[in-house]
Amino acid sequence: MTVDTEPQEPESTAMRFEVVSSALKEGTAAAARVGRLALPGRRPIDTPNFIAVTSRGTLPHVTPDNISKHLQVSGAYFSLEDFVEKSQQNLSRPPPIFSAPTSTNHPTPLYSFTGTPSHITTILAARRLPAVPSPIGNSTKSISVFTNTGFQNLSTTDYLSAASTLEPDITIPLADLTNNSPPGTSPTSKRALRMAERTDEWIADWFSSPLSTSTSTFAPVLPIPYPIQWEYLSRLAEDYIPSSQLSGLAVHDPDIIPDLATHQPSLLSLPLLSLSNPSNPHLILRHIAHGTDLFALPLINAVSDAGLALNFTFPAPPSSGSPPLPLAVDLSLPSFSTSVTPLSKSCTCYACKSHHKSYIHHLLQAREMLGWTLLQIHNHATMSAFFGGIQRSIKDATFEDERLSFSRAYDSEMPAGVGERPRMRGYQYKSQGGEENAGKKKNKPAWQKELAVEDDKVEVPETDGGRELQEKGVGEVVKGSGR
Amino acid sequence: MWATARRMASTTRSASSAALTFELVGKCSTTRARASILTLPHGQVNLPIFMPVATQASLKGLTPEQLEATGCRLCLNNTYHLGLKPGQEVLDAVGGAHKFQGWNHNLLTDSGGPMLLTPEHSMSLQNSIGSDIMMQLDDVLVTTHPDKARMREAMERSVRWLDRCIAAHKYPERQNLFCIIQGGLDLEMRRECCREMVARDTPGIAIGGLSGGEAKDDFCKVVATCTEQLPELKPRYVMGIGYPEDLVVSVALGADMFDCVWPTRTARFGNAITKHGVLNMKRELYAADFGPIEEGCGCQCCRPVGQEGSLGITRAFIHHNAAKETVAAHLLTLHNVWYQLDLMRQAREAIIADQFPAFVKKFFVGLYPDGQNYPSWAVNALRGVGIELLGR
Ligand SMILES: [Zn+2]
Ligand SMILES: [Zn+2]
Repeated sequence: MTVDTEPQEPESTAMRFEVVSSALKEGTAAAARVGRLALPGRRPIDTPNFIAVTSRGTLPHVTPDNISKHLQVSGAYFSLEDFVEKSQQNLSRPPPIFSAPTSTNHPTPLYSFTGTPSHITTILAARRLPAVPSPIGNSTKSISVFTNTGFQNLSTTDYLSAASTLEPDITIPLADLTNNSPPGTSPTSKRALRMAERTDEWIADWFSSPLSTSTSTFAPVLPIPYPIQWEYLSRLAEDYIPSSQLSGLAVHDPDIIPDLATHQPSLLSLPLLSLSNPSNPHLILRHIAHGTDLFALPLINAVSDAGLALNFTFPAPPSSGSPPLPLAVDLSLPSFSTSVTPLSKSCTCYACKSHHKSYIHHLLQAREMLGWTLLQIHNHATMSAFFGGIQRSIKDATFEDERLSFSRAYDSEMPAGVGERPRMRGYQYKSQGGEENAGKKKNKPAWQKELAVEDDKVEVPETDGGRELQEKGVGEVVKGSGR
Repeated sequence: MWATARRMASTTRSASSAALTFELVGKCSTTRARASILTLPHGQVNLPIFMPVATQASLKGLTPEQLEATGCRLCLNNTYHLGLKPGQEVLDAVGGAHKFQGWNHNLLTDSGGPMLLTPEHSMSLQNSIGSDIMMQLDDVLVTTHPDKARMREAMERSVRWLDRCIAAHKYPERQNLFCIIQGGLDLEMRRECCREMVARDTPGIAIGGLSGGEAKDDFCKVVATCTEQLPELKPRYVMGIGYPEDLVVSVALGADMFDCVWPTRTARFGNAITKHGVLNMKRELYAADFGPIEEGCGCQCCRPVGQEGSLGITRAFIHHNAAKETVAAHLLTLHNVWYQLDLMRQAREAIIADQFPAFVKKFFVGLYPDGQNYPSWAVNALRGVGIELLGR
């Protein structure tokens, strides 16, 4: 057997997390820290850091060869709901991912089905990030998930069995989340209490079931106040840390971390993964200041789809009282049409080494898919460099000062981005009432305009006949280009 | 090996013009198929060749680096599209289309079509693009146009426009201008056009106006009629051709270069081109098929897991994401481009080894495994150059 990844302790079969350096001062509750998370067979992740967020098993717009060659990302978030839709032609077929054969290069079904490079740490959760709200509530033993073919129930036992089969490096067990309340509102205290009780029961079920030892469990920490979920959290600390069954926490709102530090300090020996979907780097820094180690960042995918190139560094460049800098450059703006400079002067990513703003502006204008690919490469690289700077400043004990300078140097929010987004797909939003119009508006132009037409017309058969049907289309295109 | 090398050396003949060298390295002893090396300002390409179409200076989601990895060294841009976006001013400011898209290999541009109105405007735009091969502006009618007088007028206008293009072309020392043979399905008119065009001595010659819906028999007759008339030591480009059968038959008829949007366009519809025909990956049939897109294919997606650069992509994964995530389209595009380039590589090797007729038969058996139902146009065209598909 040949392993071509970076050197690591070959004997280790368990996840290891160590805090290398912490800004923790005498008497402070929670603080930024530098650590290293290592899973057997994977590239170790220096923390604080981020993991990429996949959609249907792939990092949007980036093929696996480009992930290996051009991204420093060492972890990826997968959602089970992206793989378990019921086939409309074959209702009884089990989700194919469960039977994907494995190999040395693709050691689990999750790797082999998705083609994810094996140095990437895989993290499985039930729902996409961010999840599409479900109008159907959860029940005592299941949650409602949204697939490409609609809502369906996912029971705790089904999820457990899926995790055992897929063998992700890290699994986040089910949480009872309110996924139908409007964003920004918190659940009623009665509902919040039930969320905590159910999640507590589900965790007990989870740990009492024989689960493959090759997956590490990151228990959810609910986005509700500490006092409402204290029983659940104390059980995590008192039962599952001593039993070594709990490997980390998946925190839905990192603002709870100071409370954990006060009431359940042992939980902070675990790596803390944030699922809070921060909308800007200032929030990321704030959560790092609490002690968050890892972030799943759907923000990056959204920023790339909006035609934005991230443009910030940590530490921030020295400012001399100048107005705050924008956090990203909007490549759709016409002013970039003849700009032959890279997306960012300091960036060394593939997109910045090989291309310039003028070309990426053109690709966005022409709705060529490569535009989003290059932005994804650059935006992930910028985020990697940002976290690298954070790690160094924590080690140098300059993090808090630099965080303050950063907050002064940059705008507080991302620009919106005037460009047209890629076509939204059914699994990305729910068509319902007002949202339907929003979805339609988002979809104005299609990245596969011809496809939409073609799809309505015919399922292309395999024989010559199918091509004859297309031939007319080809002829039209050819004529249009002056043959 | 030695014998082959000697024979090649003795038959190698070449011709050069200011920005191009054409070197004939092998000829099929049965058909009119040829293998050659075309040296252009941005490097050498082996003919016969399929050229993928990067309409708007981008090949459907592939980075230039990924396109290069398929072995592609010559691709197309569309002049009309680049004239609209990014526009001539931007191209001039950036320093041409190679720099603009980060592509250090060869580019071919079409004329931009009648939308550009004048030969001078077409040349000016293609000079700004800086393509290694430029096409003359021609007057294109669908080959099935019923009006013979109008067809003649278009053919004669195309000849006159070539003269204007030659006069307007600013950089003949670094960009090659190809003429385009017109004349619809009228073989006599095509012959006349060949004579006129050849007399103008452009570095390469295209056969135009096809792929507009004419019968395949007629298409083959036009290609065969033209190649018969054309000088041996110049590249011959049949425009707008991309189906694998069309490529193989056209090579047998003596053509060298082809382009078409179909292989990359069809990838976005979830279609994979294989030696056994086109497979639509969206079909339920492939949902749990963990084989490669095409068994035996050497592309990055399909090459066996463990081989250098293998991605281990399965049909099941393509099915899962076809028409959903752009990545599925990128991967199928990688495969389809590889398939088309590899088909021409194999044809070339067969020509050099003088095994081309066997290659053609094997290719058609792959598509029609029962050895029957061969398309009659292909049977007829190949019979015309000495290959009997139906013969056992
Ligand atoms: Zn960059
Ligand atoms: Zn392939």
